Amino acid sequence: MPPRRAALLPVVAALALCACPAEAHIVSSRLGDFYAGAAHPLTGLQDVVLWIALGVLAGTQPAARARWLVAVFPAGLVAGFLLGLAVGMTGGVAAVDAGCMVALGGLIAMAVRLPAPALAAIAFALGLVRGAANAGGAGPDTNAVLFAAGFATAGYVAITLLSAAILTFRCPGAGWRGIALRAGGSWIAAIGIMAGGYALAGR
Amino acid sequence: MRRLTWLLLATIAALAPAAAHEPSLGVLEFREVRPGSFVGGWTLEPTIGGDRVQLRFPPQCSYRPPSLDCGAQGLAGRVTVGNLGANMSAVLIRIVPVGGEPRSYTVTTASPVVSILGTGAPAWQTWAEVASTYVNIGIDHILLGIDHLLFVLGLIWIVQGGWRLAKTITAFTVGHSASLAAAAYGIVAVPERPLNACIALSIVFIGVEMVNLQHGKIGLTARYPWAIAFGFGLVHGIGFASALSALGIERSLLFPALLSFNVGVEIGQLAFVLLVLALIWGHRRLGAVLHRGGRVVPGYVIGTVAAFWFIGRMARMIAV
Repeated sequence: MPPRRAALLPVVAALALCACPAEAHIVSSRLGDFYAGAAHPLTGLQDVVLWIALGVLAGTQPAARARWLVAVFPAGLVAGFLLGLAVGMTGGVAAVDAGCMVALGGLIAMAVRLPAPALAAIAFALGLVRGAANAGGAGPDTNAVLFAAGFATAGYVAITLLSAAILTFRCPGAGWRGIALRAGGSWIAAIGIMAGGYALAGR
Repeated sequence: MRRLTWLLLATIAALAPAAAHEPSLGVLEFREVRPGSFVGGWTLEPTIGGDRVQLRFPPQCSYRPPSLDCGAQGLAGRVTVGNLGANMSAVLIRIVPVGGEPRSYTVTTASPVVSILGTGAPAWQTWAEVASTYVNIGIDHILLGIDHLLFVLGLIWIVQGGWRLAKTITAFTVGHSASLAAAAYGIVAVPERPLNACIALSIVFIGVEMVNLQHGKIGLTARYPWAIAFGFGLVHGIGFASALSALGIERSLLFPALLSFNVGVEIGQLAFVLLVLALIWGHRRLGAVLHRGGRVVPGYVIGTVAAFWFIGRMARMIAV
């Protein structure tokens, strides 16, 4: 392992240790339930890492395939949120989140070109998982419609900006950028492996 | 036709209780009866109930409603108003000393702590408190004011980008800043309900202009965006002022409060404009753009939502 990467291992380990089972996070309701829903994904490492991973994966695909995620991912989040409310979920499943990180990170690291339906299916499935996990953030006094709208809007903004930024970043002719993205994918997969190990060890 | 009439009446009836974009407010007043001893409580009780609001006074004070006894040190120090919740915009604390000018302090969910100052306190500290509080109120007001944001979104959609957009947003800023100042100083006064209806109507106008533009009709907004932005900015600014005047800030602190509130509004507005521009860039980069037939949809959506508000606000106005 290169020394620089080894030096960063403690940081990654610390981040992985933060991947405790998701609970209903307290988000300031200063600006109401819409903004509480929009900010809720920022309260857990799982959403931050997985959303970034999906954005990077979309950005490494051709634009014609990535563009579908602008609609599909928020739709998955809303469907998952409704599912989570119906089932009464209060948090996510850490092992599933870790598995998603490994899978997405692996796809980025291997620079896999996915067909548009497969990419859309991955985005929708991830939306379902994270939407259901975030349903626990809506308390009994929360306006679920506003919360879900804010949450889906955050998903739309994140996936649109991330995939467009990555698409711009990996401009043709700069080979090192593709390598950097693949290295980033391996890091996401590594975080997933550590989070998975931690989740399994906690059982 | 009769069915349509009934449908319209039913819609108006359903809309009647629709809440407009208005801040909620609680007012706490304490009058000094002898040095260090006050009597008071809620003169305007918050909607969540005065008992649910947590009040914490400086350590030297003991509060047994309606008495507040602070001893020889007087009422000076940090006062915290907690548990305001999302539906409570602000609490105005008004202190009336035995032989001095009444003083007002505003606390919000964003700034729930305020330092009550003694008579010899430095002025800059008061100004800093006011600036911090009112910048936050301004940001909250614009971010929660979906009507103002929809208007700005419509302007961005019509003008697209570049220097023309910068000039248009600047004109909107100048317009609402001027009328905000005029209304705050009492030079202009417009009743709140008709004003809210006018704000909704301004968004309907923008929605129509957006649809017309897609049909190849160059409207006033596309031709003179800065003039339209300035004109309607004047209307929206009076709306901002109604939020400010509801807080009942005392006149000596009005200028810093007004300035800070406006700065907060501009921060929120700028953040929104930058986010929308970033999203437009993202959509273009991904090629996720609406087809020719679908480009009228945003105009119809904005216009319909605004028409819904307009009818609701008119119904509320008529119902009074």
